[in-house]
Amino acid sequence: MNKTLSRVVWYVVLAVILVVALGPVVWMVATSLKPETEIVTTEIRWLPQNATFEHFGAIFQAHPMTQWLFNSLFTATAATVLVLVLDSLAGYAFARLRFRGRGIIFLIVLSMLFVPIQITIIPLFILFSRMGLTDTYWALILPVGANVTGVFLMRQFFLSIPAELEEAARVDGASTFRILISIVLPLARPALTAVAIITFLSTWNSFLWPLIVTRSDSVRTLPVGIAQFLSLRPGLVQGQMSIGQSMAGAVVAALPPIVVFVILQRYFIEGISRTGLKG
Amino acid sequence: MRITPNAAHRGDPAVALATKMRSRASFTPYLFILPYLVFFVLFRLGPSLAGLGISFTNWQAVRPPQYIAFANFSAMGRDPLFSAAFSNTVFFVVITVPALIILSLALALFLNQSRRGRTLGRVAVFMPFVIMSTVVGVLWTWILDKDFGLMNAYLNVFGIQDVPWLVSEGTAMYGVILTTVWWTVGYNMVLFLAGLQDIPTELYEAARIDGARSWGVFRFVTLPMLAPTTFLVLMLTVINSFQVFDQTYVMTGGGPGTSTLTLVQYIYTTSFQFQKFGYGSAIALILFGLLVLVAFFQIRAHRRGIEGVE
Repeated sequence: MNKTLSRVVWYVVLAVILVVALGPVVWMVATSLKPETEIVTTEIRWLPQNATFEHFGAIFQAHPMTQWLFNSLFTATAATVLVLVLDSLAGYAFARLRFRGRGIIFLIVLSMLFVPIQITIIPLFILFSRMGLTDTYWALILPVGANVTGVFLMRQFFLSIPAELEEAARVDGASTFRILISIVLPLARPALTAVAIITFLSTWNSFLWPLIVTRSDSVRTLPVGIAQFLSLRPGLVQGQMSIGQSMAGAVVAALPPIVVFVILQRYFIEGISRTGLKG
Repeated sequence: MRITPNAAHRGDPAVALATKMRSRASFTPYLFILPYLVFFVLFRLGPSLAGLGISFTNWQAVRPPQYIAFANFSAMGRDPLFSAAFSNTVFFVVITVPALIILSLALALFLNQSRRGRTLGRVAVFMPFVIMSTVVGVLWTWILDKDFGLMNAYLNVFGIQDVPWLVSEGTAMYGVILTTVWWTVGYNMVLFLAGLQDIPTELYEAARIDGARSWGVFRFVTLPMLAPTTFLVLMLTVINSFQVFDQTYVMTGGGPGTSTLTLVQYIYTTSFQFQKFGYGSAIALILFGLLVLVAFFQIRAHRRGIEGVE
């Protein structure tokens, strides 16, 4: 009796959780498929009566969605590769190599974790204007290379693997670089995955900096495009958008990461719990 | 655990040779660290220090910066927009942080049971977090629409009158908070789940044998063992909440009136729409000060908590 009751409670609460977590996303997809007359109604109707793809056609025609999507994918990928290279090298140096000033340099790097990026964006913007690099991919990619979390995570991971293998390879005459590439990095796959996921996700979602530093559609990323052209907030650039088109744009932007996440969810969750830090 | 040649193989000639080679190639570490340091200094450390410096100037658009000491900071005291942004941000933090912590802990505890469907539950709760903030903002602007939104439609079903949500000064911030909780609660939950899985099951068994009821187990086993995780989650949530911007930019633009104007949005408009770099940097510095202050008290409370247990 008690067992059945707790089972019922489990399924009821689980159902509520699923509805609240997923309902808004389902509603977004549903709205994007409805003709405008079915959207502007006080009736609650989850399934469209006359499903249509007209909003998707319209937003791709009215806005360079594919370009924004490409810009986001390209800059996030490039930034991730950059971070993996820089942070593996630096993390390894901080963990294993001895050099003058290691402790104090690491401390300075770490202290920047507490400095909010808002304090850097004004000088950063001025720097990129002086270099003539605003409104370029460079401006979106390069600053990500300065991230602190990745270095910290890589260092922690390198410290956690036993040093005997490296010492043995060193005795055999392998160079430090060779040791990193062929012995350490293959062992560090979980850490690399975590850093890659976190870097990609935070660059992909990044909003304030791309909003400031991009002006043209050939560079503008998806979050900025969405915010400026598909926002339903009155008074923004395009004024009042069609709700159907906004939702269609939202679906286009939301589905790729959701699909990737559902496929790779184990790595996402592992990566996040390993690190506990956003980019 | 690091095994140094000196400690482990003292006198081993091969290791001695390796150590010698290492000291000869002592520039190698710098080759490893330098690429990152260039990025770090150029795009993080340098700009942070520059931001600090700029806050003491009246730099505005093309006019060259002049040192004005603390004038920007005293100007804030007379600036109604700054005080609105400040109090809105604090209000947002004060409501959002406890909501996010309690809800995510409850979800983690619930979905930590070994029952069917728990992975589905975890994936579902975390999923909103992978959607970009601006999309979340656009979606919830629609859900919270006063006349045709899903939220009010369901509230009507339960006999509750339409809530004006984002179009009224009194309720707009609650709309933003609701959106934020939905969007980020899964992230905290994942951290709590990781913390829960680190608690040895023997502790639970021991407590049960001692006759503890579920509340007692939670109060005297789970909660104390979870303290490091809670500290981390709290810290991250506070830091992120103080920096709220994307949601309000998309959903309300700081309005109606100034009811959802946040510090970061005010930094953004001051610096990049009115080109007041000096004043904008000074506000950013205040935000930094707030974070340091909160972190300081949290670390102190955490320390005291640990001492209390021991």
